[in-house]
Amino acid sequence: MKPTVLVLGSGPIRIGQGIEFDYSCVHCVWALRETGYRAVILNNNPETVSTDFDTGDGLYFEPVTLDDVLRIVAHENPVGVVVQFGGQTAINLADKLQGAGVKVLGTSPEAIAAAEDRDQFESLLTRLKIPKPPGRAVRSLAEARKVAEEVGYPVLVRPSFVLGGRAMEIVHSEEHLEGFYQEAEDANPGQPVLVDKYFTGTEAEVDVISDGEETFLPGIMEHVERAGVHSGDSMAVYPPVSLSGDVQKQIVVSACQIARELGIKGIMNIQFVVVDGVAYVLEVNPRASRTVPYLSKVTGVPLVKLATRCMMGETLRSIGYESGLWTRLPGPGDGTRLGCTANGVIQTETAVGEKGVETPEPPLYAVKAPVFSFQKLARVEPSLGPEMKSTGEVLGVDRTYEAALYKALIASGIVFKPKGQVIITVDDPDKVAAVEIAKELHCRGYQIAATPGTARLIAEAGVPVEKLNKIQDGSPTLLERLFEGQVSLMINTPGPGQKAGSDAARIRRACIETGVTCVTSIDTAVALARALPVFEDPTKALCLSITEYVRGV
Amino acid sequence: MRTILVIGSGPIIIGQAAEFDYAGTQACKSLREEGYRVVLVNSNPATIMTDEETADAVYIEPLTVEFLERVIIREKPYGLLPTLGGQTGLNLASQLDQAGIIEKYGIKLLGTQLEAIRKAEDRELFRALMREIREPVPESWIVESDADLEAILDVVPYPCIIRPAYTLGGTGGGIANNRNELWETGRKGLKLSMRSQLMVERSLLGWKEVEYEVMRDSKGNCITVCNMENLDPMGVHTGDSIVVAPSQTLSDIEYHMLRTASLKIINALKIEGGCNVQLAVNPDSFDYYIIEVNPRVSRSSALASKATGYPIARVAAKIAVGKTLDEIENAVTRTTKACFEPALDYCVVKIPRWPFDKFGTGDRRLSTQMKATGEVMAIDRTFEAALLKAVRGLEVKSKDLRHVAFAPDNCTDDALKVAISQPTDERLWALAEALRRGWSLDEVHRHSRVDRWFLRKILGIVVVTEALRQAANGRRRDEEVKADILRAAALGVPVRTIRELLGPVADSYGDLFVEAETQNVYKMVDTCAGEFESATPYYYSARESEDDQALISANS
Repeated sequence: MKPTVLVLGSGPIRIGQGIEFDYSCVHCVWALRETGYRAVILNNNPETVSTDFDTGDGLYFEPVTLDDVLRIVAHENPVGVVVQFGGQTAINLADKLQGAGVKVLGTSPEAIAAAEDRDQFESLLTRLKIPKPPGRAVRSLAEARKVAEEVGYPVLVRPSFVLGGRAMEIVHSEEHLEGFYQEAEDANPGQPVLVDKYFTGTEAEVDVISDGEETFLPGIMEHVERAGVHSGDSMAVYPPVSLSGDVQKQIVVSACQIARELGIKGIMNIQFVVVDGVAYVLEVNPRASRTVPYLSKVTGVPLVKLATRCMMGETLRSIGYESGLWTRLPGPGDGTRLGCTANGVIQTETAVGEKGVETPEPPLYAVKAPVFSFQKLARVEPSLGPEMKSTGEVLGVDRTYEAALYKALIASGIVFKPKGQVIITVDDPDKVAAVEIAKELHCRGYQIAATPGTARLIAEAGVPVEKLNKIQDGSPTLLERLFEGQVSLMINTPGPGQKAGSDAARIRRACIETGVTCVTSIDTAVALARALPVFEDPTKALCLSITEYVRGV
Repeated sequence: MRTILVIGSGPIIIGQAAEFDYAGTQACKSLREEGYRVVLVNSNPATIMTDEETADAVYIEPLTVEFLERVIIREKPYGLLPTLGGQTGLNLASQLDQAGIIEKYGIKLLGTQLEAIRKAEDRELFRALMREIREPVPESWIVESDADLEAILDVVPYPCIIRPAYTLGGTGGGIANNRNELWETGRKGLKLSMRSQLMVERSLLGWKEVEYEVMRDSKGNCITVCNMENLDPMGVHTGDSIVVAPSQTLSDIEYHMLRTASLKIINALKIEGGCNVQLAVNPDSFDYYIIEVNPRVSRSSALASKATGYPIARVAAKIAVGKTLDEIENAVTRTTKACFEPALDYCVVKIPRWPFDKFGTGDRRLSTQMKATGEVMAIDRTFEAALLKAVRGLEVKSKDLRHVAFAPDNCTDDALKVAISQPTDERLWALAEALRRGWSLDEVHRHSRVDRWFLRKILGIVVVTEALRQAANGRRRDEEVKADILRAAALGVPVRTIRELLGPVADSYGDLFVEAETQNVYKMVDTCAGEFESATPYYYSARESEDDQALISANS
């Protein structure tokens, strides 16, 4: 009789815990079956592949709660339970399952706690000398003020032990601190509030696989939007387009060190923010993340299968992998492979394909873009921020970054009528970039309109621009123009501390209702401008199967 | 080897979620079993269907006519299966057809034909067909001027629904209970509508909403996979309703009347594959109306598949390539054929999962626009146990039918009345609270229109949990407490809730909890209620004595 393994699913689909986790659970089950286990699934979501009766060797259609797991464990007597692939639903049970005498496979519940507990994780980073944004957990407004002054505004204020960025806010000045502090405290009463320096840098993330000693990185993903937008709501590109070789090395070294120090057996996700050439660790999730399917498909590396085998006790080396960053050949960047010893010392070597393939692989860019459901949700503020709002995602793959961006944008439902009007109304720090975008759009035949402040700067740059009034200042206003139906695109970035109900929020809601694409992050707008040539001539984009992109035609 | 092109449903949005990955994955496997080469196009990477293992060639490209044509040029498919990718897949197939691409490349459309799809989806064509086969559709009138409006004031049945055309989020619409209200609201609606047009329709608010999942093959064989009943009466989108399978409050006559109507409709539409028929039933008579037909796999068909064990998408794919129901094996039993209608010896409850925990400012009221992002399903031997199990699996704060927002200190009777009249994501808990406050079934029914049968079941749960609370205050005798605990456990009240309600008193009954735990067994979902041999390892828990899995192990 084969040994039984129980795999915990992720329950109902919600914002922050979507179909990606079903993908990972199914692949875990398949990997277990392939390696000689009897894989049994627990999940209660009728929409999924994991609850198809022939996905595993057994299916328990039950709630994913402690009591239900314990009952099934008593019934099935598995060698262990897998908690790494069922999102936060499953990983949250790790500690209690161990407490009830159930074997948690892979990364230990102690390591999971060490990664998720703020104090423990901070001391681990300090021990490893890995940089993180300065900040502290506080229990009063006065303390919060003190920390904010120490590290300097803007600061990121958020409740501890709350998921998906709920009640998380970027606070730019002391006057806004009190309100957001209160919100964060109310979100999880009795728990400390976290106040950290907020860096406006480039965000990057990695999903890593570790056997406890060696750590393998299938790839680095770079976020298109700067830090401050929830990773689930930002566009991301693989491989990175702006991270230097040195920054990539820092990411690889930190990832290897963290994985080893925690004793990760299986999979883990780490998010970084890069400021002035330094990669700071923002957070780690000791489980499969939402980028696992994306990364698996565009690297061709079967992430879940490798993680599952490590979890079941095999070493990376025994299955043909070793520490370091896997690089496609010759790949963008320096065409070398970043190896990494167990204790995190980088070894640069000439890249050699996984199975010793010497033929150079064609370049590939893969851009992930979020998809929202705001049309269906009245009164929800659609601007991007630290709180996740998207319900799904799409992927654009091509041989150039521009074409991949173009595909991701149109696949996510962005409608960009050629030669129409683009309205620009942005927050002060975004104005310089907005002028550049206006220039580019003007050159390509778009008419530009903007609110007074932005319009003045655009005009100074020599671009013809129509001045539109804010809502309360009378005709012609932004809103009127929107409802006239000539607008191709709205670029509207929120200022600090704006809430639902403000003018800007009304504009964004009006875009949703008129079907005009509204870009709320200046970085998204820059990306869009970059893809303009492909919007004009879509034949610049290829149409190939994913296998052809990844492995060559 | 012949190539079949399958169009996926793209990114997850509200109303189009993981169910299409499930259906598409099943269909791809099913087509490959039949010896076809499958080419799949989907822009959503977070899916099993876009795995190299699922299809022979996977295109993660934008779902637009332009990209689909490029895929068609490269892959030269023999056929296209459009009914698996939700509304997105269906719309794209229609656009390809309109653009002449289907004809240009000589592609065969498999399964339900576009003509049938148009008849099901185009309002006027559908109404004409229903009239032809004498199936009732709700009467409606198109109004384009004040004069039009005046002309129908004495014609329409009240209450009626007013829907202005081309207004955002249904602005200006509403319900009119008499001719005055219709005149007032209607004139306002005409002004608000960009095209000065509105539709006035017979109101079916408060009627029972029932769905039938039906299948038909090219030879005209039809079966009902299952029927489902919404606990929330008409007025709430099915995707936002609590759904029960099979129906619980229909009489045998009603069940067969609606089944016959559903089968008549798929025959008239010449569906080849799966189809979902939504009907409204008058709770006080045998009147019914056909509300909507979905000529494709849907969220409901995914639910029906999981609720019965009958793999609708898998069978629909085989029908699309010419197999008939009597030729297709039932993959669960492996001893019967796909033409056997499933039988359920359990009750299934689905509860939607809404995003309002994330979107604090969002409008929580439920109506005809779906708002849920996901759902949970629970299977058990009784409605009560399935309902409680589903609640427990929702991963919301409340793990049973108690909700702090509706506790007497936080919610006045007036507020509670609103909470049970106006559907929201929290109405289930408001219903329980109203019953807990001793409101009569009739009163709760009058405000909520929820069928008394469901209310009586909820009352049963409330009564036993209230008895436990009494016990905590020392107001129950020892043997009564023992009986209460066992009764609560049998109804499916979570042991944690029982202990919580009893407070310190619980400690004296430790043995009883152990005993209750030993009554936990696992039953099999076998599509045939035990009539035929089956060995599918698909289980749900129940508090009973006979464990299906133990039986299988003992026999093998």
